[in-house]
Amino acid sequence: MISRRLNQWNNLKTWQPLIVAISLVMVVAILHKAHWELTTETSPLETWKGKTITKGDNETNINFPEDIGDSITFKGILMTSPKFEVYNNDSIVLGEYSKDEALVYDEDLYGKTIINLSGMRILVNGDLSGKFFESEVITVKAYVIENTSYYTENEQSITLNREGWEAMPEDIHLASDTDYYFFTTELIILAIGSYYSFSRIQNLRTQLRFAKHLALFEFGRGLKAPRMIVLGSFFTIFIVGIGWLLGDLQNSTSVFAVTSGNDGILRLSYFSFFVVSLAAIAVSVDTIHKERQSNTLNMLLARPINRETIVLGKALGLTMVVGVPAFIAQVLGLYFMTKAGEMPTIGSMITFLLFGQVMIFTMVTFQLCLAISAKNGADVVIYGLGAWLLFSVVWTLLVYAVSFAIGIDVSAQNFENDPEYQAIASRLALLNPGFVYQMAVGLFTHRTISIDFEGVPGWLLLLSLVLWPLICLRIATWLFKREMRG
Amino acid sequence: MANSLLELDKVQKDYRIRSFGRVIRTTKALDKLSLKVEKGQIFGFLGPNGAGKTTTIKCITGILKSDSGSIKIEGENIEDNSFENKNKIGFLPEQIGLYGNLNCIETLAFYAGFYDLDAETIEERSLELLKVLGLEKDSKRNVGEFSLGMKKRLALAIALLHKPQILILDEPTSGLDPRGVKALRSVLRDLNEHQNLTILLSSHVLSEVQEICTHVGIINDGKLIRQESIQKIREKVRKTAIKLSLRVKNFDKEKSNESILLNQYITKKKGISIIEVNDLGKHQQIILTLKEKLIPWVTNKLVSEGVQIFSIEPQDTSLEDVFMTETGGDSND
Repeated sequence: MISRRLNQWNNLKTWQPLIVAISLVMVVAILHKAHWELTTETSPLETWKGKTITKGDNETNINFPEDIGDSITFKGILMTSPKFEVYNNDSIVLGEYSKDEALVYDEDLYGKTIINLSGMRILVNGDLSGKFFESEVITVKAYVIENTSYYTENEQSITLNREGWEAMPEDIHLASDTDYYFFTTELIILAIGSYYSFSRIQNLRTQLRFAKHLALFEFGRGLKAPRMIVLGSFFTIFIVGIGWLLGDLQNSTSVFAVTSGNDGILRLSYFSFFVVSLAAIAVSVDTIHKERQSNTLNMLLARPINRETIVLGKALGLTMVVGVPAFIAQVLGLYFMTKAGEMPTIGSMITFLLFGQVMIFTMVTFQLCLAISAKNGADVVIYGLGAWLLFSVVWTLLVYAVSFAIGIDVSAQNFENDPEYQAIASRLALLNPGFVYQMAVGLFTHRTISIDFEGVPGWLLLLSLVLWPLICLRIATWLFKREMRG
Repeated sequence: MANSLLELDKVQKDYRIRSFGRVIRTTKALDKLSLKVEKGQIFGFLGPNGAGKTTTIKCITGILKSDSGSIKIEGENIEDNSFENKNKIGFLPEQIGLYGNLNCIETLAFYAGFYDLDAETIEERSLELLKVLGLEKDSKRNVGEFSLGMKKRLALAIALLHKPQILILDEPTSGLDPRGVKALRSVLRDLNEHQNLTILLSSHVLSEVQEICTHVGIINDGKLIRQESIQKIREKVRKTAIKLSLRVKNFDKEKSNESILLNQYITKKKGISIIEVNDLGKHQQIILTLKEKLIPWVTNKLVSEGVQIFSIEPQDTSLEDVFMTETGGDSND
């Protein structure tokens, strides 16, 4: 029985172990979701909306369907950083009724924090400043309590019989404390699946050696290409200059002021994408097409190198051509930014540089797809420029158009602060490698990946960052292999 | 029974024209092509333009994938282990594409990187091949400065670098001057004789193939219509067709009462192929192949149409005659 199963496993085709692993990861992901659904209330806002407010002559009653003393563990997103939500004697007007928070400000609140958990207000018996931050996904074990307080409305004294939710600071945890167990399990399964799939590829080591050989060749050739010399110099000056400016703007009060080092690195990542993606597209714009025209491709195809390896080697080589100068420019940009302004988090600086290389690889593989499928040189250039314009310049217009199409009034004042618009923009950003890069850097300005970006969880962002280059690479190899079929 | 070095069995290949990823037209390139090349042969692959020679070569070298059928090297399907099998093949394409900014040594080192060769072997083999192919003095020059002949020689060096078992050459002499052709022929013969290298070459120059090849395959419309040793083919054709050279006058006129040329009228007769019509000034020379029994018909027809015949001489049957006969006498090559 066991040997039969082992035989079946050994006879699996190349990618089947990985498919099995992905299926298992999906099962773990479902269990992960089920775990939160079963152990927590994942829609705190629904509970908050469930309250009834009844107003009498001199009395207001706030009641929840739950009984006094009942406890529920909520899971939600911190809508604001708790450092702004701590009650201090200079931040509240005593005796005032806060409709949003459904309580009356009194001296008892001093030193306590009211947190906004996905729209639900929970009073925490302690100061949470510096312990939790905006957009973090947290779990809060809260109890229903009741108390009575008084406030004045229209010169009338009103008694507030309030039921509300309270929690102790030690009952608040980052969701990532649990998420990481699931994520680690998923990564291990994926790693095992990948290992067994890759070990089934014939001559894997040799093909990887060929990919390295081709990549180094492309790197050597690409660095000497006039267009790379021009673009490389341009983006180095641009990134360094912008870095310096973003550092200076941290000390400025202008409308373009940069609020912190983390804000600075976020903006720097966008500007880096703006110029580096152009260079990535420019160096790979005609790579396969030109080789096809000059007949060097057939010379290469007749060697014992797989088509997948050719695409991988070229993609890696071209990534290095742009990536190495970009890395240097980004380090210099960061240096000048931090010299003039605040230091961003170490995590964001590492990801700014590391994910920058992933972004370049993505743009190169994306352009390779276009270069392989284009029928002539003009097509290749137009496709490449079009892709760059779309991702770097006109994306916002596309977001406006989509928002308008689904009924958001994009002509309204401050519509960009509309949560619905932000949710659309955030989700559409996953389809743009530039924004994925920028948001991924932003993710690492936080201490956890359990962060919500207007409806886009951190893990989805990282998944998107990984999937973008993999999907582009897969499509490029598929297109390149399709040529073989004639 | 020992396996052939290279064996193609019912290989089919269609070219698909796509629009937005959808196949809108299909053209048949290879139609159940079967072919065998034995070890030690110099195999000439002949056929008119568009017959499928280059497609066949591309399928063998793995540049294209056949739709069906099998391509085996030493009995092993080429796709089962393309890495090992591609190591057995050396390939010289018709259109040579080399990186112009590299010199000979760098070019050879780049392509050698795709084989299991260590740096020392690469250097040793590169220098040896450059010497044999007469590129030793130019080894430091950029390939972009090379003539076509030099590029072909360098491409041949690339093809031989990993010591393949079979060397496949697609139109190797196209674009070469007579000295280059002669030098290439000499190198190929030497490789075959001294290193027992099997060679498969396609060529437009039939005299080349006749001179160098031991075996020939003729392909037409994607099908192999004949595969034999050159000697056998010649004998067979000699039995079935005779080649004659006629010296005549008044041949290049229209046939009386019909608006077609006389030579077109004659070649309508099955079994007659006019290979050449040369203008000799006062006279014309007609070289044709035909069955013996048709000789009186041709001479009578020519005379009745007012053509004066001054001499009729038998000629040696060449590979070109075979080619013309087998492919219907209509070659654009």
